[in-house]
Amino acid sequence: MATGSRRKILVVDDNVGLAENIAEILGMAGHVIEVAASAEEALSKVGSPPPDVVVTDYRLPGISGAALVRRLRQDGAPVHAIIISAHTDDGTVEDARRAGAAFVAKPIDFVALGRLVEG
Amino acid sequence: MQHLSFLENVKAYVGFDDDASVALRGGHPVIAPHFGAIIDDFYDAIEAHPGARATITGGATQIQRLKGSLLQWIDEIFRGPHDQAYFERRARIGRVHVRIDLPQMYMFTAMDRIRVGSAEVIRNERSLDAVKSRELLTALHKILDIELAIMLETYREDLLTKNRTAERLATIGQFAAGIGHELRNPLGVIESSAFLVTRRLEQLQISDASLSKHLEKITLEVQRSNRTISDLLELARSKPLNRRPTEASAFIARAVAATGLPPSVEVDTMVPAGTILDVDPDQLTRVVTNLLLNASQAMRGSGRVFIAARREGNRSVIVVRDEGPGVPTELRARIFEALFTTKAKGNGIGLALCRRICEAHQGTITLDSSEVGASFRITIPDQSGLGV
Repeated sequence: MATGSRRKILVVDDNVGLAENIAEILGMAGHVIEVAASAEEALSKVGSPPPDVVVTDYRLPGISGAALVRRLRQDGAPVHAIIISAHTDDGTVEDARRAGAAFVAKPIDFVALGRLVEG
Repeated sequence: MQHLSFLENVKAYVGFDDDASVALRGGHPVIAPHFGAIIDDFYDAIEAHPGARATITGGATQIQRLKGSLLQWIDEIFRGPHDQAYFERRARIGRVHVRIDLPQMYMFTAMDRIRVGSAEVIRNERSLDAVKSRELLTALHKILDIELAIMLETYREDLLTKNRTAERLATIGQFAAGIGHELRNPLGVIESSAFLVTRRLEQLQISDASLSKHLEKITLEVQRSNRTISDLLELARSKPLNRRPTEASAFIARAVAATGLPPSVEVDTMVPAGTILDVDPDQLTRVVTNLLLNASQAMRGSGRVFIAARREGNRSVIVVRDEGPGVPTELRARIFEALFTTKAKGNGIGLALCRRICEAHQGTITLDSSEVGASFRITIPDQSGLGV
């Protein structure tokens, strides 16, 4: 993974094991990572300055990944968003697109994810 | 209420009684000399009609054979007896029509030729008096309508079976898709952890053959599990096709690469230069990948697989053949059924998905009889107007 500019990344997945692994892999490129297990926890961790990138699962308990992205934008964070899901049906992909997020299917291609984070 | 069999039911409805049977039997010697002419007319009409002609794929030899069957069929109409055994034989013919996907309208149009031809013979036959002639004509109309009812019933039965299978698949599909999604997450953790361990070892400059081997095994097996889940999810929902002209040799090369066969499986590819297939390359890759995996498993991970892609008229044809033990005759009819498997660890999804994708292309996948191993043939007609 190419080391580009150092970014603040928020990784959100209710599968904590996966969230931690995503964080560790992205961390290898030198980014600063924060992990949350739900959208609510993510919102409480946003802080200041807000993250440059949010990488979130689409299906989360409570607020969905797409809704989280919308909420962050409403709060004024110019966050770059990537939504991940094992559900690759048109509805999910379309909802991610409408939220202004890139979509990455599970199983995750980490090389592609790394590129999106840098991009 | 007394339970009537299907035959008794339609006979009662049209009023086909013993007298009708007797009338037909009595007419047999009079009409039999004309059977040849009626049959010739029947096949002349088929040959004159492009749509009907297309249902006959075996040329003159097939027509000759079919004429023999038709002769027997007409002979039985007049000879009877019109009993349950008669019904069973007729239903078997009906099921052949269903199997070859004969459009139902051709049953009616073809029956019309028999009806008109036989009626004309009866009307012109001087040896029959007016009463006998009328009785025979009435009985003929009744029995031919019963024949149509029997044929339609076989179509209905077939449709019901298909619907039941589809319903069962839909239920199982939804259930399986839910489990599939659930399994994606732990697999994702295993896969990413294996990736992280590999990276960590690189960082620590540890090079250990045993560790590498096991990490590779973990990754490969996770990929395999992911592929099974993908097949399941694909089977549970039907994705719309995205057909486009596809360069065959690059397509086959990509499909082979995507399969990830063990190095001990050799792949021989035969694709004439410039072959273009009219297919959805993404969905058809799944078909080729599944066939290659099956081939590899059938050969216990070692041997040769042949893949050929070519054009046959306005059809794209792909053949995948292996050197394994082949498929036992008694199982050949069932291998494309969902949830049917011949493998100890198979799930019965792969070939069902293959068939589903080929049928979505209006095409077929068949198991050819071959001397060695199993040979699968995919035939996909061009979409009209694409002009590949």
